[in-house]
Parts: sequence; C-alpha cells; structure tokens
Amino acid sequence: MADFLFLTVEDVSDLWLNVKESFEGRVPVKKACLNNKARNPVFVDNLPAEFIQTTDSRLRSRFPQEQYLFWFREPYATVVLVTCEDLDEFKTILKPRLKLIVQNDEREWFIVFVSKAHPSNDQASKMAKKVYARLEADFNTKKRERCCKFDLHGPDAEFWDDFDSKMVDCIRNTLDRRVQFYEEEIRRLSEQRFTPIWNFCNFFILKESLAFMFEMSNLHEDSLREYDELELCYSESVTSPGKHREFGGLDTGDDQAALLNPGFKALTQIVQDDVFREFEFRQYIFACQAKLLFKLSRPIEVAARGHAFVVGFSKTLALHENSLPFCFREVWVITACLGLIKSTTSHYDGGAVSIDTDKEFYRLQGDLYSLCRIKFMRLAYLIGYGVEIEKSPVNSASLSMLPWPKPATWPSIPPDSSAEVMEKEKMVLQAKSREKLFDIHRKPLPLEPSLLLREANRRRAFLSVGNLSELYDSADGSGLDANSKLSPNRSASNFMTRTMSGPATSETSLPVDRPMRLSEIHVAAEHALKQTISDPDFMSSLSSVEEFEKRYMELTKGAADNYHRSWWKRHGVVLDGEIAALFFKHGNYDLAVKSYEKVCALYSAEGWEELLADVLPDLAECQKILNDEAGYLASCVKLLSLDSTLFSSKERQAFQSEVVRLAHSEMKYLVPLDVSSLITFAGSAGPPLELCDGDPGTLSIVVWSGFPDDITLESLSLRLSASSSADEGIKAIKSSDSHVLKPGRNTISFDIPPQKPGSYVLGALTGQIGKLSFRSHGFSQDGPVETDEFMSFETPTRPVLKVRKPRALVDITPAVSSALLMNELQWIGLIVKPIDYSLKGGILHIDAGAELKIEESQMIEIEHYRGDVEHASSADSSAEAGRVEKIPIENGKIKLPDWASDVTTLVWFPVRAIDDTIARGESPASPQKQSVVDGMRMIALKLEFGVFHNQVFERTIAVHFTNPFHVSTRVVDKCNDGTLLLQVILCSEVKATLHVKDVQLDLQSGFEHLGKGDGRPASSLFPLVVAPSSRAGILFIIRLSGTKDLDEVENADSMLNIKYGISGDRTTGAHSPVPAQVGDSEELLFKIALRLKRPVLDPCLAVGFLPFSTDSLRVGQLVNMKWRVERLKTPEDSNISSDEILYQVDANPQNWMVAGRKCGHVSLSNEQGSRMEITVTCIPLVSGYVHPPQLGLPEVGEVNISCNPAGPHLVCVLPPALSTSYCIPAA
Amino acid sequence: MASTACFVIVSKNDIPIYEAEVGSAPKKEDLAHQHQFILHAALDVVQDLAWTTNAMFLRSVDRFSDLVVSVYDSVVHTRFMLLHDPRSDDGIKSFFQEVHELYIKIFLNPLYLPGSRITSSHFDTKVRALARKYL
Repeated sequence: MADFLFLTVEDVSDLWLNVKESFEGRVPVKKACLNNKARNPVFVDNLPAEFIQTTDSRLRSRFPQEQYLFWFREPYATVVLVTCEDLDEFKTILKPRLKLIVQNDEREWFIVFVSKAHPSNDQASKMAKKVYARLEADFNTKKRERCCKFDLHGPDAEFWDDFDSKMVDCIRNTLDRRVQFYEEEIRRLSEQRFTPIWNFCNFFILKESLAFMFEMSNLHEDSLREYDELELCYSESVTSPGKHREFGGLDTGDDQAALLNPGFKALTQIVQDDVFREFEFRQYIFACQAKLLFKLSRPIEVAARGHAFVVGFSKTLALHENSLPFCFREVWVITACLGLIKSTTSHYDGGAVSIDTDKEFYRLQGDLYSLCRIKFMRLAYLIGYGVEIEKSPVNSASLSMLPWPKPATWPSIPPDSSAEVMEKEKMVLQAKSREKLFDIHRKPLPLEPSLLLREANRRRAFLSVGNLSELYDSADGSGLDANSKLSPNRSASNFMTRTMSGPATSETSLPVDRPMRLSEIHVAAEHALKQTISDPDFMSSLSSVEEFEKRYMELTKGAADNYHRSWWKRHGVVLDGEIAALFFKHGNYDLAVKSYEKVCALYSAEGWEELLADVLPDLAECQKILNDEAGYLASCVKLLSLDSTLFSSKERQAFQSEVVRLAHSEMKYLVPLDVSSLITFAGSAGPPLELCDGDPGTLSIVVWSGFPDDITLESLSLRLSASSSADEGIKAIKSSDSHVLKPGRNTISFDIPPQKPGSYVLGALTGQIGKLSFRSHGFSQDGPVETDEFMSFETPTRPVLKVRKPRALVDITPAVSSALLMNELQWIGLIVKPIDYSLKGGILHIDAGAELKIEESQMIEIEHYRGDVEHASSADSSAEAGRVEKIPIENGKIKLPDWASDVTTLVWFPVRAIDDTIARGESPASPQKQSVVDGMRMIALKLEFGVFHNQVFERTIAVHFTNPFHVSTRVVDKCNDGTLLLQVILCSEVKATLHVKDVQLDLQSGFEHLGKGDGRPASSLFPLVVAPSSRAGILFIIRLSGTKDLDEVENADSMLNIKYGISGDRTTGAHSPVPAQVGDSEELLFKIALRLKRPVLDPCLAVGFLPFSTDSLRVGQLVNMKWRVERLKTPEDSNISSDEILYQVDANPQNWMVAGRKCGHVSLSNEQGSRMEITVTCIPLVSGYVHPPQLGLPEVGEVNISCNPAGPHLVCVLPPALSTSYCIPAA
Repeated sequence: MASTACFVIVSKNDIPIYEAEVGSAPKKEDLAHQHQFILHAALDVVQDLAWTTNAMFLRSVDRFSDLVVSVYDSVVHTRFMLLHDPRSDDGIKSFFQEVHELYIKIFLNPLYLPGSRITSSHFDTKVRALARKYL
C-alpha cells in the first residue's frame, strides 16, 4: 500500500468525476500545519495525500483485526460532495442522507457543495446560494464551519484556500486523535513492560505504526524519535537475561549488510518467539532511521550513526562469531561501510553546510573507508596476500591490534586442493621481502596480532594438544624450530620463518592430527570465505593479487582523499604513504615520489623522526630510480641528519658514501643542497670578535658535522650578515683551514677581510663536496650540541663579529711646546700614544718639510713616556721608564720596536731647521716686525700599523724654531764729546737658560769703538746668564767716525757675535744641540746684524710757538699766532748764507682763516743767537680741538729745524659767544 | 601500572619534544613505532578538539583498537599525549597535572628554550616515577 494519507470522497450526488481532476490538483498539500507529538504546530510541506472514493476496494478488503493494526492507514478525512438545486429536495432527501453520513463521530468530514449553476444564469445561481445557505445553517456549528461551496463553472481562489484549510483541519484532527490513541496504547503496554505477558512484538507494532503515521504525515523528526525509542527498548529487551535467542545472520546473503535496506527481509521472517532476531532487526531499525534521516536531508548524521553502528555491531557480531560463518564479521563490516559510503555520498551535496559540518562528513567518510580497508586487509592476509601488504606503521598498528577471527573451528582444508596449496606456496616463496636501499635492515613490523599459524591450528578442535606444544614451544616462541622441523632443507630467512611455509607435499589429504601449514591455512580460509561471501563482485576482488590490490588502492585512496578533505592531514598523509608504497611496488615511481614527498614533508615538518625514518629510505629509493639527483641527495642528507639512534652507524655510513659518491660522480651541474640540519655551526663561545674599522681578523667558527665519518670538502666558506641590515652584502669568506670535517665538533677559522663597521651575525655556511654545493643555515646552540640538532629561529642570533666605528687608534703629538733653536741640531719629540690598539710592527714615516732637515746620521731615541697623569709608582713602569732605545732611521722611516707597541712612547729625532737669512736686531730707528710663521717648520708624519699595516695615521705637526736671542739696541746717552752709549738688549727667546760667554760687536763703517777697540762691551760681565724670558743689556761705547759717505753708512750692518751656551731640557724646548760629532764644543755662536743709524744733524734753526695772548680762543675771534725763530748756530755752508728766510704758514682752510700773509721772507742774521718773531693773524672757524696753523721754513731742511713743540699739537677753540655773534665789541 | 603507556610531549608546532615509553609491558621496538604513529595521528583529533573547550585536560580524544589517547593541553599549546589502555580518567588526570607542574619548572628555566627538546634527565626520572605512581 502506498504511503499516502487517504482522503475519502463521499460522492452523494455523483459529482466526483466532474471535480476529480481539480481536487487531485490540490494534493500533495502544499502547506499544512500539523501538530507533532509534543502538540506543537509544525508546518509540513508537500503533504502527500490521495483522494479515494468510499466505494474503493482498498477500504473494503480489510479484516477487522487488520484494520486495528493498520488503523493509521484509515482515511484521514471524508469529503462529502453534494449538489442540490431545490430547497425542498435538500430538506427532504439530501439533509437526512447527509446527517446519516456525518453522524459517525470517528470520522472527520466536511461538505463541499458543488454549484452547477452557470454564472450567467441568475436564477440558478440564486437558488444554489439559497440551498447553500441552508446547508451552512444546518451543518456548520459555532465552533467549526464544515461547508464550502464549489462553483463548477469557474471556482474562485478563495474556495481553494477554504478547501485546503478544511482538509488540513480534518487531517490534523484525525492525526491528533490517532496519535493520542497510539500513545495511550503504548503507555499501557509500557506499564506491563516487566510482566511476563509483555511482548516486544506488540510493542513494536504500536510503536512502528505510530512512527509510520508520523512518517506519512511528513513528520519525520517524530518518526525518527519513535524509532530511536524503539531501538533503545529493543536493546534493553535483547540484553535482558533470559532464554537463549537466535542471533540470525545465517541466511544466504546475510553477509551483505542490509543496514540501509529496511525491506531486505520481511519482519515476519525474523520474528522469533516474542522478539525479533537481533542481526536482522538491528539492521532493520537502522535502515528505517537512515531512511528518515535521508528524508530530513541529514546524510551526515547517517554517516555518523552508521559508523557508530558498524563499530558497535561489529562487536556484537564478535560475540556471536562462534555461530556465524567464517569471517562473517569482517565481510559484514566491509559491505556495511561500503554501503554507507555509497548512500551517504549520493545524498550529500555539501552545498549549504558549514565548513565544520563539511569536515565532519568527510572525516566520517574517511573513517568508514579506513575501517573497511582494515577489514579488507585482514581478509586478504588470511588468504595469503599478506606478503603483498606493506608493513608500514599504519598497517601494522591497525592489523596487529586486531584479533584474529574466532570461529568455532578453523576451516579445514578442502579435499583436492593440493594445486591451490601449491599455488599459495609458490606465491609465498616468490614474494621476497624487498631489499631496502642502503642495506637498511629493520625488523618488519608485524601485520598480525599473533601468529596466524598458531591461531588457526589452535582452533582446530581435533588437533591434539601435544602436537601443538611440540610445534610451538620452541625457545623463542617464534616457531622457528617448528619451521626447521618441517623444512629442514630450506634456508630460513626471517620472512620465511614467520610465514612458515613448508615444502609442497604431494599428499592431498591431511592426516587428521597434523597441523596445517600456512599455505594450507590460506587455502582453507579462501574456501571458507567463498562460502561466506555471497556477493560475487566482492569475492572477485579477493580472487587474485591484482584484484586485491585494485580494491585495496580504491579503499586507501578513498580514505586518504576524504581525510584530506576533512583537514585531517595526518590521517590522510599516512594513507598517501600506503598509496605510494603500492605505486612503488608497481614501478610507478613518479606517483610514488609525489606521495612519499607529502608524507616525508609532514613528518619532517612536525619532527616525528621515527616515522620519518620509516618512509624516507623509500622516497630516496624512488628518487634514485628516477635519477632525481637533487632530490636523492636531499633525502640522503635528511637521512643523515635524523637522530643517529634511528639508524645503525653502518647504515649512516652508507648514506654518507652515497652522498660522496654522487657528489664526485659525473653530475652535469652543480647541485645546490640545503644541509642546514646536517651541518650546523655557531660562533665560538665567549664575547664576539671585535675588530677595529679596516682591520682584518680571524674568526673561528664551531661547525658540527652530522656525517658519521670524516668528510672532505672542496671548499668551505662563510657568509656573515650585518645585523642591522637584512641583505647579505658580504661576499663569502673562504676558510683557509684544511677541509676535512670530523664527525661532531670542528673548529674552523676564517680570515676576515676588513669589514664595514657594525655587528655581524652568522649568515650561512656554504661549501662544496665534489659537485655538490651545499649551504647550511643551521645555527646550533652554543655549547655542546645534543645528538639531535635543534634549530631555533626564535632566538636572536648572537653577533659573532663586531667591527667598531672608525676611531682614533693612535695619537701623535709633539712633545715640546716651546720653540727650538734655529739652525742647530735639535731633538724633536713625538709622543706616540696607542689608544687601546697595538702598534706592533708599526712604521713611522717622518717627512720633514721645507727648510727642515732630519739628520739621518743620528739614531732615533725611543723612550717610555711618562705623562704627567701617569704615575711612576708601579714597578713595571719605573723599570720601563729609564729605558731609551736607539734605533736607526732610514729614508725617514722608523720601525717601532715591539716593546713600544702598547705603551705610550716618546720618539726623539734630530732635526735642523735651516734659516739662511741673517737675524736682524731691532733698534728705534729700524723697528722690526717679527712674524711667528718665520720660525715654523712642518713635519708630516705617517704611521702605518695594524696587522697588515692597514691602519694609517697621518698628521702634520708644526714645530717652532727661533733664534736664541732677540736683540734690540738703543742709544742710552749722547755725550757732549760725541760719544754714544749704545745699549744692546738681549732678550731670551727660548725656554732654557742661556749663558752668554762673549759678545763682540763689529761696527759698521761710520761708527767706531772707543777704548780698546776690540768690539767688546764696556764692562766685562761674562759669562752672563740669561734666564728664560728675561733680558740682559750690554753697553758699548762708540762714537761716530768721520766718514761722509752716507750711502755706505746706510747700507752697512754691524754684526753682533754672541758666543753662548745653552742649558735646557729637550722636553720643554730648546736645548743644547745634538753634537754632530763627538767632541764638538758646546759653545754656540749667534750672529745678528744690527743696523746703526747715525744720529740726526744739529739743527741750525729753532722755531717756537708762542703762547696765545688771550686765555681762550673763540670762533670768529681774531687771534695772533706768533712764532719765534732763532738761529742756533752759524751755518757752515756758505750757500745758505743769505740772511733772509722764507716762511710759510700752513693752515687747514676749514678750520682757520688766515688773515695776513701766508708766506714771505723775513730777515734773520746769520749770527748765532739771532732771533725774530713771525706773527700771523687768524680766525678760528670751528670750535673744538683743532690743529693750529703751522709755520714751515721750506728752504731749510726739516732736519735742521728744532721745533717746540716737537710734533703737531692741538689748541682749544671755544664756540662763539652767544649774543655777539660776529660782532666785535666796540671796546 | 598499565601495561601499555606511551607518553609524549608535543610542542605547539606539533614537534615531539619528549618521549617516554612508560608502560610495564616489555619494550618492543615495533610497538614504539606503532605508538608513535597512533599518537601522531591523534594530533588530527586534538587540533579539532583543542579549540572547543577551555579545559586543559581533554580526556580521551582518540581510540585505536584497544588503546586510548588522552591529551592534556598545557602552557603555550604544548600538549601532553598519553597512549594507554582503557582506564579511568582520574589517575591520568593526576599524572598530567603533576607532569604539568614539572613542565612549568622546565619552562621557567632560563636556559631552556621553549619548544626545544627536553633533555633533562631529572625530568625524565620524575615523569617515570609519576607514571609508576598513577598509571
């Protein structure tokens, strides 16, 4: 029967055929509001329903008791179809008939009045309206309207709404009533739950009816809940202790899980006593639930419930394994999983679900696939394909923890199967355990919980215990002895031992008490499985290795893909590894590499080295086969860098030799390789190496080699990177050391060329092994590194090198501050002060400038310098203090001695400043300007130092040279007799005591000494000691000699020869000159030229300015200027013997107005003592201090005139009187 | 003491930084391999689960055949993972809490770099002692 709600049509007036079409157009009901079990309104879409007539055979065929069972299938509403065109007819015929129909309260009904009247026929329409009004009055109640009117000729939209709502009302009411009824029944039954009369079947019928009813009404949630409750109830009833019940699952085809097919078996087939058989019933319930969940569009829940169900039910099957066919459980799980996967994927569109739900779904798919895969592998192992299964951790973990099937008795070998046994035997023998690359010998991981051989034979009931113990109680329990007993002539490889394959025997039937051999077990299992498995397709996938691998691949891929989609990358990647293994086995290396790389990348990123060590050799092998040199090398390096405990040293050596072999083989190109994990390096402990700007240095780096043996490198270089900037602007620094890296710690030094200032951290270590150029970024931590290297990029790397900013490394200053003696060999001291820097091997270039000569014949003296700040207290320095080393100077170069490299030293070297000009003395007549620059001499110094003389210090220093004395002269007195007292003043110019021993003055012509005439001073005071900066005077008595040659007098010089000695300290300044030759007298000679001027001639005229007659001068007031002119002596020259003198008055015309003759002749007698006065009247024009007019005598030379006052002078002129401007008073 | 127990500390980058087989069962090398595999795969579950709860003790997050993986989310996403036979949570929780204390001490060591391998033998001894006590 279809799962529809039935709506009966009571066709009172034979109208059904007329309206059938339009009525059936209303179902399924598009929107219906129903009440769910909790009496809450629920809107249901597309409620399926079907109209049938009350006369329908389907309603009649049921027996009464059946009607009780299938009550939920009874019609939900009755539609009474009537028409009437006459009131009387309605009253008399129709109304009683309708009353009869609707009096049955059990039914929900409503009346549809069909109006046949044509809209154009007013009469008929009116009539129909009247009748309908009557109908409404009779059948509508206050609570409920049960009538509606259908216009045959064009029903309006309102009618259909009305119709729908009435129909839904009816359905809802019916449903409510029935649900209530069922619930009461169920409650009643539940109360009897623990009484003996309780019968699960009855309960089930009620429950399922209710569920079914809900399902029909599209109330799937409620229906699902009923099934869930039913399942719970069943679980309780089935686990309750009681009589033994049949489990089921023994029918043909039961091995194929029916958990998605509720109609797989009729319920009547599985009923047993008062309860259902568990095997079938549980699947049935699950199938019903799954069906509802699919209807609710919840395939994810199906998958989730399904997985749980399969796992749970698998356990249940295990409990009943005794009674079930061989490996029934495994087969069932496989088919169940596959079924679930198929149906859920087809129902899942993944469109409108959240990402988490999506992930969950794929995870469940992955779980189902992987469950299926494990069981499938178990079956395959049983029938002898175990040798083909990769012994990876995942397979091993899955299978070795999964117990063997436990049938009541292990299947025995069928007769006439010797050929098959042979076949299996052959397969086992042919399969060789794969030789791993690098001779890696590892115990293969087990794929079995315990030995299959032992397990199978133990379960053979008829095998005697004695035999068993004989077979297995060997020393190590591994069955080795048993194997050797059975096959003494066979070389017992490890694998053979485990599979325990004996020689193929010709005997076909086993003696009853002989234990089965492994190949026999396989054959027996295969036969038993053929019995168990009903699906030929499934069986065929176990029929041959190829088929098995095909299916195995399918399942593995399915699991891997789904895990990847669910973001369970670890699960997914592990299975990728299995796929890779299969590809590898089939020589599909390209694909294998791809998958293996994924696996290795994951393990290596997450540092699970043990797992990585398992797959990495496989990857390496693939890469080797594919000739992927770079990849292969990288894999080898990775293998080497794994924890050394994971591989034996022999294996590690094999890795290394492989790397070396490849590196030196004929690779076309340089292969770059990152060996960061294998070769690590760090700066040596302690503070970083500090270098001065421009200095090279040696940086030692600790390099840890992860190679098991010494490895020879072609080159090794280091890159440093400045910590301030990111770029590795520095080119690689090659190591000069020998290039053999020992395993473990190596210290390698690098010569670092001068670097820019800044601090540097280690960048990368690069090098070459053959054609392999490797690069390592691995920084190991300081100190001894554990066996496993640890890379931390989080720690800030420590600078290994600091190059300081350029700074003064040395300072050279002159040691003397005061002037040295000119033209004498003098010591110049240089203070060479290293500033925290060794001057070892330094060379000092001294380049004397112009007019300065270094006496290379002399030795340079170097001594320890004791600055005034330094204390001579320490014994060391005092010992050093006295030391003076003499070293030669060559071409202006001095090599600094080693002892002087770290201490401040004083370097003395002799120089002679040359000044060819003759020093001149100073006199009042010839004042001299002395320039400091004259005595300056420059010395250019250049100090080359540093390890490679890379540091240069240059400086030019100025040294001041001077004469010992500054000489000036003056005439102290002039006697009447013409003698002159000439004082020569010697002023010491140096900071040293001068001893004047003798002075001699060679007078120029025109002068002559008085007295002895030897040119010595008047008094002999020698030796005369002149202290620094002090003066001494020496008096000479001279007189003018009578020469007339003025030119000669003007140009000649007198020479003053001073013999002197000097006692000074070279550290302060001038000192006694270095003796050029031994025995040189210490007496020095200083010559200086003096120019003496003859005294001025005697004046013959005197001009005196006479005081003014008035007290004060005023502007505009006339004043008489008077000069008196007196002849001092009679002129000797007859030429000027006239007694007239020309005078001239000079006045500034702006200041003075001269009111008289400005020039003229006055008469003055030639006799000595004659005098006269010249008066000139002037008017001052401006007030203030002004020069008065001057009287000049142009004809008489100025030298012959003695003036009083001698020089120009000023007079005070007052401003004019206030009221009398320019008016001369009358008085 | 449980027959099988494998304890691993996994850093936040999923790198194992401490491993110990603390079960009483005789140590088999192939088993260690499997344990590693199971624990590693369980990280998939942990990564999903860790963000759904505030609790540090995540209880048993994964089962593999008869073995259970329990996880404790310690500081800075360092995870303690224990593979063990099915048993009650209490002992495991206490074990984890005490190891947590130990780990904090290691963590506070200025010479220990967070995320690096724990090589302290003292730590190892203590963990094994705790395993004997609680598992």
